[in-house]
Amino acid sequence: MPQEVERYRKPTRILHWINAGAFVLLFLTGLILFIPQLGFLAQDSWTRVIHRIAAVIFVIIPLWYLLSNWKASWKSIKEAFTWGAEDIGWLQAAPRYYFLNDKKGMPPQGHMNTGQKMWWLIVIVFGTIFVITGAIMWFAKTIAPAAVLQWMVFVHDIAFIVTGCMLFVHIYLGVLHPLMTEAWGSMARGKVSAEYAKSHHGKWYEEVTKGKEVKS
Amino acid sequence: MAEKAILYDATRCTACRGCQAACKQWNENDEFIPIKENGVQSVNWGSYENPPDLAPTTWLKMEFREIDPGGKVRWLFTRRSCMHCTDAGCIKVCPTGALYHHELGFVAYNKDICSGCGYCIEACPFDVPRSEHNLITGIAKIDKCTFCTTPGLDRLTEGWEPACVKTCPPKALQYGDRGELVAEGKRRVETLIAKGWTNANLYGEKELGGLHVMYVLDDHPAVYGLPVAPRISAATIAWQDVIQPLGWAVGGLTILGLGFNYLVARATTIKEKEKKDAARS
Repeated sequence: MPQEVERYRKPTRILHWINAGAFVLLFLTGLILFIPQLGFLAQDSWTRVIHRIAAVIFVIIPLWYLLSNWKASWKSIKEAFTWGAEDIGWLQAAPRYYFLNDKKGMPPQGHMNTGQKMWWLIVIVFGTIFVITGAIMWFAKTIAPAAVLQWMVFVHDIAFIVTGCMLFVHIYLGVLHPLMTEAWGSMARGKVSAEYAKSHHGKWYEEVTKGKEVKS
Repeated sequence: MAEKAILYDATRCTACRGCQAACKQWNENDEFIPIKENGVQSVNWGSYENPPDLAPTTWLKMEFREIDPGGKVRWLFTRRSCMHCTDAGCIKVCPTGALYHHELGFVAYNKDICSGCGYCIEACPFDVPRSEHNLITGIAKIDKCTFCTTPGLDRLTEGWEPACVKTCPPKALQYGDRGELVAEGKRRVETLIAKGWTNANLYGEKELGGLHVMYVLDDHPAVYGLPVAPRISAATIAWQDVIQPLGWAVGGLTILGLGFNYLVARATTIKEKEKKDAARS
């Protein structure tokens, strides 16, 4: 059996999949508003009810995770906002790497590479924007001035476009990209091979294996 | 087909509110005492004006105003209902296509496919659509004047006038071809000006591309509580003409880019594998 390293603990993976499910529901029930031909699906407010149920899950589950894993979560959130020379290096080297499998100039990456960090940052920032604008549209619908509600829709939809497009990129890299052979396994089973970890997250691999043998 | 319209002559209106009652009666929006759920109760609040506001079951309401220019008290009446705009903000934002322009020009809607988003309420320059709205579930349906074309209660297809027009005793309300009513309205305005009402005007001829409810007024529209230059809000335009096309463009480009990346990256890995295999053999 090849050597493996753990990338995501079980609670993290459960959080990921519950939130992924909620987000896809939110995405699809929101997308209908962009496609008038599918308007019949939204009749009698069904998609609005689903959108709200998914929204509650989308808020409650991460909050619960955040509070029960406060230290790790806080570290991870801080990491999303910490950018350095290695990230610039990644950004410069990324196009050649992701198109041509050319690793030249690609700095060794930590547990999150810069691309993943970018996605994580977008999730934090736009997730918060989603929740704030969504809560105003939900609970202040009958009291807020019409213009406020309209601009909330505007901001909500900018977040929708940004996160929706990045979701495509995220799913693509996790499932389809020819080089990301073990990305799916890392979130499905939680483990990747030592070889994959070394080549994709060199810096992190050094950290977790420093001074000890990797368990097989 | 020629566009139809309603012409409301405020100078002929006696505020009998027959139109209000006829609207409710014909469209089965009756008031109930004790109050029906979501109904609006008529209350005595020191005015003949009742009920207090438009509601899901009140599509037409007469507003009363007392003004005293130069110490001479005047009692003004304004008809409040859907103005049936040509440039209709509600139709622009309606995500499901429930709101649409009827072939006779006015704004009709298919209540069955209304999703209850309420965007039309926020986009209306005249604050007309109303909805029954559950704050927790978000379940809602909008209601407003249908120009008496509610399915099953369609007067126009029968060749009849809208209920409010039919009932109006002083003929303050007229129904007909929009072009003819514009001409009629202008004639009335000229008469009023000749009689000394120098501020008389026809409201709705050009507003928002032309309203299908027009007003003959003997004074400035603001005096009658009407928006002087009604406009579709910047947020409505931003959402409909910027956000929606932008969303499709950015989303489409993303998917195209990913497809392109897939083709190139796959070709790269296949080439590398071939090289490896060649080196091995």
